[in-house]
Amino acid sequence: MTSRSDIFVFWRGVRDALAFPAWIVGFSLFGVGSLARDAGLPAGAAVLSTCLMWAAPAQVILFGGLLSGAALPALAVAIGVSSLRFLPMTMSILPLVRRPGQRWPVQVVVAHFVAVTAWVEGMRRLPNLPVEERLPFFLGFASACMGVSATLTLAGYQLVRVLPVVLAAGMLMLTPLFFTVALVASARARQDWAAIGVGFALAPVATAVVGRDFDLLVLGLVGGTAAYVAGRGRRRI
Amino acid sequence: MTAEAALGPWWPYLVLILVGFLPNEVWRVLAVVLSSGLDERSEILTWVRAVATTLLAGVVAKLLLAPGGALAAVPFMGRVGSLAIGLAAFYALRRSVVAGVLIGEAALTAVGWWAQAGAP
Repeated sequence: MTSRSDIFVFWRGVRDALAFPAWIVGFSLFGVGSLARDAGLPAGAAVLSTCLMWAAPAQVILFGGLLSGAALPALAVAIGVSSLRFLPMTMSILPLVRRPGQRWPVQVVVAHFVAVTAWVEGMRRLPNLPVEERLPFFLGFASACMGVSATLTLAGYQLVRVLPVVLAAGMLMLTPLFFTVALVASARARQDWAAIGVGFALAPVATAVVGRDFDLLVLGLVGGTAAYVAGRGRRRI
Repeated sequence: MTAEAALGPWWPYLVLILVGFLPNEVWRVLAVVLSSGLDERSEILTWVRAVATTLLAGVVAKLLLAPGGALAAVPFMGRVGSLAIGLAAFYALRRSVVAGVLIGEAALTAVGWWAQAGAP
């Protein structure tokens, strides 16, 4: 992040995020802000949770759990399990933005910005960019998403209870809708289609068989491997 | 005296760091360690990407099947139907993600109003 062109590309990432995706994740976190207030947390903790955790589902578990008086160690475990998805996501995005000689603190910063929106959009946009532009673009894109989301978390905290139910439902629908359209938009190989299909079809099965806590873990490993094999079969022939 | 009372206004921040931030961030940091030296075209990363995509599709399916909060006020067929409409709009309108999301949202809002108006 030193040269002029890096700064230029960073701002292009900011601009691309503000054009649409940042608002998707931002409005999803609007509801999280409301929930934080219901849980009796100060506004600062609500905003900080967006910047530090950067994972709406985990934030919902945390604030919902505090609200219902759940035991803190149990909450920590539930959050750890729910955020397991960041492992494969971060592992697949880091090699895309890595530059020769890049040091680990830079990678930890990149990793911190990984969340679903930045991941689906990153997997879609980064491979088309020249290698040297990927890091500043990703940092610009993701920090704009986080900035908008932190602001809207605060807005949600302050504006709780003035939102009609239908609009609140619309905000909660943003996440599944955007994830699905973005996944379909970024699907290229047979493996991607297999993974989307398997994920959708087997999610209820996994929940029924393994229960609500570890269903996604099992689904990811079993379904993901099946999708990989399906894609590999085609590649080898 | 409990830790909560001793820390006073700082208690929520300590909970946020220990219960919220650390169990969440550990996966991102672990990914930095595990992905070092992996090439973006390596076979293992292809598998990792398949796992991540499947997980994400599973997260969406769970959100649609068992939604929390206000989204539960919209019937299941309304949620799935507006997703299908959003996808159709994405393809119909030159693969525009923005169009897909906005039209899907419009469909959901319409179903939501209808469900609300239809309720006694």
